[in-house]
Amino acid sequence: MNVNALRLLLFLFLCLPNIAAAGLAERVQEHRFANGLTLLVVERHDSPTLAAYITLRVGSVDETSENRGVAHLLEHMLFKGTKTLGTKDYRREKPLLEAIEAAGAEYDRLRLAPQLNASRIAELEIQLKELQEQRRQFDVPQEVAELYAKNGGVGYNAFTSKDLTSYVIELPANKLELWAAIESDRMRHSIFRDFYTERQVVMEERRRSYDTNPDGLLYENLLATAFTLHPYRHPIIGWMSDIDHLSLEKTRAFHDRYYVPANTVIALVGDIDFVAAREMVERYFGKIPGGMPTPPIVAGEPEQRGEKRVAISFDAEPRVMIAYHKPTLPSRDDYIFDLINGLLGDGRTSRLYQTLVVKEQLAATLSTFTAPGSRFDNLFVIKATPRAPHTSLEVEAAVYRELKRLADEEVGAAELERVRNRLRVDFLRNLQKNSALAHMLTYYQTVAGDWRYLVRYDEELASITPAEIQTAAHRYFTSENRTVITLARTGGGE
Amino acid sequence: MKKILYLLCVLSVLLVGCSAPSFRPDQISTPPLHFAVPQIEPIILTNGIRVYFKENHELPLLQLTVLAPGGAIDDPVEKVGLASLLVRGMRTAGTASRSADQVDTDLEQLAADLSITADTYALTLDLSLLASDFAHGLDLLQEVLRAPAFEPERIELARKQMLEAVRRQNDHPQSIASRELLKAIYGDHPLGRTPTEATVQAISREDLLAAYQSTFSPEKLWIAVSGDFNRTQLRAELEARFASWAAQESKPRILPPLVAGNDGVALIVQKELPQSVVMLGQVGVDKNAPDLHAVRVMNFILGGGGFNSRMMKEIREERGLAYSVYSYFQVGRLLPGPFIAQCETKSSTTIEALELMLAAMRTIREEPVRPEELQVAKESLNNSFVFSFAEPHEVVTQAMRLDFYDYPAGYLESYRAKNAALSLTDIQQAARDYLQSERMSIVLVGNEQEFEAPLSQLGFPLQRLAPPAKSAQ
Repeated sequence: MNVNALRLLLFLFLCLPNIAAAGLAERVQEHRFANGLTLLVVERHDSPTLAAYITLRVGSVDETSENRGVAHLLEHMLFKGTKTLGTKDYRREKPLLEAIEAAGAEYDRLRLAPQLNASRIAELEIQLKELQEQRRQFDVPQEVAELYAKNGGVGYNAFTSKDLTSYVIELPANKLELWAAIESDRMRHSIFRDFYTERQVVMEERRRSYDTNPDGLLYENLLATAFTLHPYRHPIIGWMSDIDHLSLEKTRAFHDRYYVPANTVIALVGDIDFVAAREMVERYFGKIPGGMPTPPIVAGEPEQRGEKRVAISFDAEPRVMIAYHKPTLPSRDDYIFDLINGLLGDGRTSRLYQTLVVKEQLAATLSTFTAPGSRFDNLFVIKATPRAPHTSLEVEAAVYRELKRLADEEVGAAELERVRNRLRVDFLRNLQKNSALAHMLTYYQTVAGDWRYLVRYDEELASITPAEIQTAAHRYFTSENRTVITLARTGGGE
Repeated sequence: MKKILYLLCVLSVLLVGCSAPSFRPDQISTPPLHFAVPQIEPIILTNGIRVYFKENHELPLLQLTVLAPGGAIDDPVEKVGLASLLVRGMRTAGTASRSADQVDTDLEQLAADLSITADTYALTLDLSLLASDFAHGLDLLQEVLRAPAFEPERIELARKQMLEAVRRQNDHPQSIASRELLKAIYGDHPLGRTPTEATVQAISREDLLAAYQSTFSPEKLWIAVSGDFNRTQLRAELEARFASWAAQESKPRILPPLVAGNDGVALIVQKELPQSVVMLGQVGVDKNAPDLHAVRVMNFILGGGGFNSRMMKEIREERGLAYSVYSYFQVGRLLPGPFIAQCETKSSTTIEALELMLAAMRTIREEPVRPEELQVAKESLNNSFVFSFAEPHEVVTQAMRLDFYDYPAGYLESYRAKNAALSLTDIQQAARDYLQSERMSIVLVGNEQEFEAPLSQLGFPLQRLAPPAKSAQ
């Protein structure tokens, strides 16, 4: 290492944690309301805009075999209006909604034995269609979307993950009250219109993301194989038969149970004033009953005692995923794996990229990441596409050689510091956009229990020694702890 | 009198009781938003490089974007992929004074990100680094721009990666559909071509050197910088690194004129999947079209406005036929870009979804849109305009791009007034001018045996394309 580089490293090592973490610590303003709702605000006055994130600490991991897919379907249903928005007259619409639900529930029940109930099922199909058409006379389709659009909102969307659900929008900064009014209305008074149609939409989403998509299919099979018991094994969207049989009743129950202030974190980032924002949130969300936080999950994934391996047949070129179980945050091993991820797969100088893509040229693309969530112990995943004529097997062998090297040889100080530096600077990059910062704050508040995880992160990272990395590689990168999924055409010659 | 007062009280309680739930968020009055289009004036370095600055000291970061005319539009027919291999070579194949490995190591030492990409009309270099590293970053930038080495073995590696991408181009049904659609819309024109194994193999290192020489010289380069820097200092640092690079005589850009495509047909690609990709399109607009604003607003109503668009409401919301359905006009910077509409639906509703998309286009052509729809589209585009300037780097690269592509002066300043002035007639006229079923090309990728009706029902001439080749291992 030359002198300049050394000086640079010292500079980064000494200064960066202060710039990033401490700067953030001073700028986040926080309030906890009496009903348990948490508000995080960062004032930033460069552009007259704001990003608003509402994150609920409930995701697909909180489902059971009775309601798999419901967290995501519910997220879709929150786009169907409220008692005031989306309808010309809720009072007159309500009986039709009830009739639709009754017909739909009977339809779903009879479909469990289709041969016995064929004629009644056919009747109900017609009845449902007619009722839904009648209801449309009261419809103001997508009125919330329209309101947000007219007021200059962008990125009106929501995301369901294994761990949490987020509702997001960016607005001109003078629209804070509009946001508070709409979102508090959605939280309390959402009406699940067009439920049976939306189920079909979600099935189309599933076909698009998994059933026709080799990468989605590979990933879905990885999780379903690597986890034996823990609900991380199920796709967020649900299996097709799950979606097809989710009921309005279960969806409503899930909403009532989990969509409560005690489970909610709001982040507002942008050209707003903290006190005014706090008062606005108090006014619109403050009277909502607090409810109960999401309870822990009892399912404990049993220790894996041997390699799991699945070969998927699909009409696409070969690809492979290799995964190892690992602990989640805030365990020290999770920080160690952030460094391992950087060493192995982040960027063109990383070990796996250098070996597989540049030197041996066995793979065309390579990436490493942690999945599928962070509330519970998770996986370290390596994904690669072999470069013809090389095979997934050759890719695997090369990967294992590099993992063994990590366990056999101590990582050099310079390489390790390069990885730490990358994590620090990427963290800074994540602070640039209002929406990215809002996302990060609600994410860590939700999965780590405190956004200050971000502030303390760098200190913990800096204290990790090369010996600890070696120990972790030795412990986790074993064939017993491994799951391998390959995808190729049947008889594709792999 | 007392009685009357009593009655009034009861009434008012009732009135309050009744009116409370009818409180509507759209009745909230909002304070005015103060906002002006930021003005960014470029400076010109002594050798002709244009530089746009936007200082922002919130975070100790610096972002830099370099734009040069070039791109896929210039690829010779037998060497499609040349621009792509050129930028991969510049990024990954070293410089005169640093090996390929050294470039990567030096960048990673700074935790800097460097990417170079080619699109239709331009090559774009993006560099992101810590502000304190800007001198190191500019040294590297200078070498990559002025003295790329194109190390032969790294060029071969980049070529192998492109070939692997060609092998994988049929893995996702959406990429089959979009490739076939562009081919149908633009025929044998650079806008309709994609790299093949033969064209990628045909590109020599000499081709790359020649393309580099003809693309990169100071008078053609545009630079935008945002972040934590001092403008005077940065200007001096740029001069110090680039002033000795002599400008050449600039030559006008020659663009190949559009040719006839495969219009008014339905192309079918058989792929045994449970869901079909439905895609259609035709030649659309370029940035100089006088009715550009009308086209944009019309498309918002048709399929561009997310949940507020007709296609989304009719195909997804009312019928549950698709998760994603949309249309867009990719505004061509120089030549007319495509109009494209797309959805994915299960095999047994393929024809229904396609016919609904065609019907939505027919309706917007034949009937004026509702005044409320026009209002939503205009207000949405105008009130969200502020987001075009939400991030400093977006502000400065946008100013640079508008000049680079020679947009009319005052384009941003007049944007909202032009939208606001549009009438129902303007919208219908735009639909009539740009959506014509006889010129539309349709692509279906899916399992034809499972479609709910014969394709002949569509009334379009059918062309069944050979199923995508399954390359042997």
